[in-house]
Amino acid sequence: MLSSLIFLLSLIFVTCTQADSDYHERLLLRPLPQSALLASFNFRSNESSASFEHRNFRYFPRSLGQTLQHAHTKELHLRFSLGRWDAESWGARPWDGTREGGTGVELWAWVDASSDEEAFARWLTLTNALSGLFCASLNFIDSTKTIRPVISFRPEGHHTNSSLLNLHLLHGTLPHEVVCTENLTPFLKLLPCKGKAGISSLLDGHKLFDASWQTMSIDVRPVCGDGSECVLEMEQTVDMVLDIERSKRPRDNPIPRPVPTEELSCDTSKPYNSEDSCYPLDKDAEPSWSLAEVFGRPLKGACPLTDASGYESETVCINVPTEREVQVNTSGTYAEERHEDGLLRCYKLPTGVDFDLILPEQVPTANLALEEPPLYAARSINGHGQERGSVQAVITNPSTTSAIQFVYLESLPWFMKPYLHTLRASISTSPSSNPIEETYYRPAVDRHRGTHLELLLSIPPASTITLTYDFEKAILRYTEYPPDANRGFDVAPAVIRLLPSNSSPNTKNVYLRTTSLLLPLPTPDFSMPYNVIILTSTVMALGFGHIFNLLVRRFVGVDEVENWNTGGLKGMLKSRIERLRARFLGKGKKDE
Amino acid sequence: MSPKADTDASPSSNSNTADGITSGKVIDAVTVKKEPPPESKEAIWTRRLVILSFWAVVILIGLPVWWKTTAIYRADLPLQVMTDWADGKTCRPVFPLRIAVEAPALPSQDAQHLLRTTQHALDDLNEFSAHHLRLLLAESSTTVNTSQDILPITNYKDTGLHGSTNDEDIALSIRLIPGESGTTPRSELQPYSPTLEVYYTPNQIPPSSSTSSPLATFIANELQKVFAEEQATLAYLLSTSSTAHNSKIKSLSPETAASLERQSTRAFKYAPTYHLTFSLFTPSATPSAWEVESALHEYVSPLLESLFSISNFTVDTQVQLYATFSPSIRQPEYDPERKAWTLRKEDLSGFINAAEWPLSPSIGVGPTVNFVLYVPDQNQSPLLVKENGGNSWLIPQWGGVLILNPSTQLNAGIPTALSKDALRPAMLTFSNQLFSLLGLPQSPASLPLRLSTLKRVRAASLLFSASSTLGALARLTKALPSISIPDTVAKSVDQTIVHLHQACNELREGRFHSALEHARVAEAEAEKAFFERSMVGQVYFPDEHKVAVYLPLLGPVAVPLLMAALKELKNLSRSRKKGSA
Repeated sequence: MLSSLIFLLSLIFVTCTQADSDYHERLLLRPLPQSALLASFNFRSNESSASFEHRNFRYFPRSLGQTLQHAHTKELHLRFSLGRWDAESWGARPWDGTREGGTGVELWAWVDASSDEEAFARWLTLTNALSGLFCASLNFIDSTKTIRPVISFRPEGHHTNSSLLNLHLLHGTLPHEVVCTENLTPFLKLLPCKGKAGISSLLDGHKLFDASWQTMSIDVRPVCGDGSECVLEMEQTVDMVLDIERSKRPRDNPIPRPVPTEELSCDTSKPYNSEDSCYPLDKDAEPSWSLAEVFGRPLKGACPLTDASGYESETVCINVPTEREVQVNTSGTYAEERHEDGLLRCYKLPTGVDFDLILPEQVPTANLALEEPPLYAARSINGHGQERGSVQAVITNPSTTSAIQFVYLESLPWFMKPYLHTLRASISTSPSSNPIEETYYRPAVDRHRGTHLELLLSIPPASTITLTYDFEKAILRYTEYPPDANRGFDVAPAVIRLLPSNSSPNTKNVYLRTTSLLLPLPTPDFSMPYNVIILTSTVMALGFGHIFNLLVRRFVGVDEVENWNTGGLKGMLKSRIERLRARFLGKGKKDE
Repeated sequence: MSPKADTDASPSSNSNTADGITSGKVIDAVTVKKEPPPESKEAIWTRRLVILSFWAVVILIGLPVWWKTTAIYRADLPLQVMTDWADGKTCRPVFPLRIAVEAPALPSQDAQHLLRTTQHALDDLNEFSAHHLRLLLAESSTTVNTSQDILPITNYKDTGLHGSTNDEDIALSIRLIPGESGTTPRSELQPYSPTLEVYYTPNQIPPSSSTSSPLATFIANELQKVFAEEQATLAYLLSTSSTAHNSKIKSLSPETAASLERQSTRAFKYAPTYHLTFSLFTPSATPSAWEVESALHEYVSPLLESLFSISNFTVDTQVQLYATFSPSIRQPEYDPERKAWTLRKEDLSGFINAAEWPLSPSIGVGPTVNFVLYVPDQNQSPLLVKENGGNSWLIPQWGGVLILNPSTQLNAGIPTALSKDALRPAMLTFSNQLFSLLGLPQSPASLPLRLSTLKRVRAASLLFSASSTLGALARLTKALPSISIPDTVAKSVDQTIVHLHQACNELREGRFHSALEHARVAEAEAEKAFFERSMVGQVYFPDEHKVAVYLPLLGPVAVPLLMAALKELKNLSRSRKKGSA
């Protein structure tokens, strides 16, 4: 349901590409079960290829444009993500998963270059420049974190066949990267209205990074219409799932407080129900919320750069049942339109004045049907010990009718060395058949390259594929361990791309990603090198001292030693004490 | 104690001696004290040899190996030569300018004579020996050619790009034109070609007998006037950049020095490429478009083409909406007299909101020159500078700002797009600002002359800057013995010195364009040598760390070696003494 909605929206977007304005934005709100709220922000701006080539930037940000030109990048996809999409309760992913990335930072780009080496050099330029632009550690994407996927990604933009020959796809991930406010600020600065007007004025780092799941994406691609001039399209999206109760907490008082006893609704049928014990009842009513409450700041009217009329001018849409009451609070003039049999209400915002949507508490009569995701995927590390482990990915096709062909892409760090001969894929319904149709494998090279594994699989209806392989854990060099080595090492999420089926080849790509894994590696005691130095030095010095003494000492009989009787430790001490006493007493006498 | 001592009741000193006697007696009675057998000479010598060989191994093998393995590679640098360059001992830049005199109407003898007298007059006027004007008589054939060629800009461009060296070496041509009308002599400087036209009446030609004439003095004075600013700039440059030249140059008046200093602090450092960024900022959503491409094409591109012989330029533009003032400056105030909003002069430095406005430098080598066109909000328009009512200012070594107040028709509001005509004043201001940011002199009026002046000034300043970088590198090498110096640094230093020599020679020969080229390479190489990355790493590995790692081994090994050596030396000296006694 949701993804078809978004698909419809994007279809309308595509048909409206030739509209007057070169800047579009839209916010889609959709309440999810368990008082969650999905907010999808989408911003698109176009710049004609000619003015991009001449470096006359209007809606396209100059900083990013220069970076792309400098690195000869023709198409760019950058993702910042946090949290996990709970497919069981929330259903299919927004944008069919095409606008989301794995936990941390994910970047892939088509770079124009004549050779692989040149492409990689330009890729490094790109990552370094983006790193500065977005305040992220993208510059840590080096050769060990870069792969060149074969079938998992296809260019989204229009490239001529001749230019495609020189395009190199490079893909890098940083699963360890923590996405935070410092990444949002430059993201907002790329927008023409800069978070000062339009739907971007709702974006606040405190709420965005407090969400259960959030992903920010930037996509740059050339788009060529039929016969018209090509444009460079930049699309920025922010998707987040907010917990309504949690987001409604005021910022200056964020600690949750217990509900006062009077406001508790108790199950009075329980035998123990009394004044001091209560079995709380679930509220059947949907909680009340408003934009200003949930996002922590008001929506400051429309961004004047968007279209003044038509579908594109309706920049806030909410997807609720027709019976749901939605109040509008604004002093300006707004317009409301209903689409999709009233399931989608879109609002044209007033310019220059605040706008707020208020949804009062209401007992729902009918819930929106959640669209079932086409595939469920989960991945985990099994095994014990410091030496070996195994990875297990469980992929389920919930559909009872259609088989699905998909690509499974793994980008593993070099210190996690898979044994390809242990790769097994079994289907729950027919254990004997092998679902793996094609395998692309590029083994790791220590400290230079990570493993790149791409599998083409097909899954019959209503069945589960269990994919397993064993791996060996490498022992790192002393200096290669990060400061928090005992936390473990992050392994990038697997990317799953659903291939369009033969019956409907025009359907869009669907992507989903597993969560990232935490791989514990054998970690040394970091004071070890100094202990080793000191211990070996001591042993060597002992040996040396003995040999040296044997060589240079003179050996005589015990009774031949001078002063033997008075000698020894006892004698020496005695004589010392005598001498000291004599000196002391002598001094004392002098004093007298 | 023996019972005898008790009964004796003698003083303690006595009892001691008595004790000693008794015990001596006892020993005598029981055994004779055993002496170790005397050591044979061979045994002593073997022991000494053993100790010696250990020490020999330590000193002859251990120390050199240790030294070799922990030594830092330091390539040989010509430190003395580098310091000499920095002190200005090696090169004294001179600027001999060739000035061609075309006198088609004069017989060559007269022309020669005029030339000589003018040269005399010039030499008398000139106080700055490094900057020397030399007059040449142009060949009549070339005269015809150049006079036909003289057209605005296009001609200049041609000579700049592929004109013969002969043409390029001529800094200025003087054309003597006989004229009857108007006051004579009078001169006219061509704005788009390096030509000074001098009108004279034939009776002003000096007779061959006289040594001076009003015409010669006039020409000399005019030339001096044309090159006055260049001389002052070069003199200022020489005086600030090195101590060695100070004595030889004429002293500048404090006002000139101050204005030259202001000019030089304003200007960017020389770079082969400059990135120009034109930005439209507005605090609201309008205007969101401007016809910047055609405006740039019309007003800025011709200038950039004429500057091409000195540097390359890249141009980019951007539009930024919702650009608010930085909170650190005071908001504009309304001035009812002027009917305008005013900004205080002291707030102009904080006008650019560096934290919010995306004015990051362009990617790629070379500095970025920013030009900001600010269109104020409608309710704060017009916006002016309080003190002088101006609307544009220059930020040294950064760029220029212009506040564009759209022509106010109160009901019309601010247009959503700025037309080319509306941008005209802004572009002209930006062009002027670009000239001062590049360090182009204010005078003379001829653009090619100003450019060639800039070329000479840039060549000289690059020469000095490369020399001082060499000096700094030499000082650094001497000051930090623990940093490594890779071969690439030595190579770069050699390259720098070679190119500095060439630049200096070219200056002396008067070929300023190739002098600039060589100085440019020298500067780049010097910077490369100075900022070599691998030189820095070793500094942070101090000797204390090495000791901490070695000590557990070296300590216990060194102690027995030292003790044995000391003991043996003691024995040796004792036996020597015994032998001598």
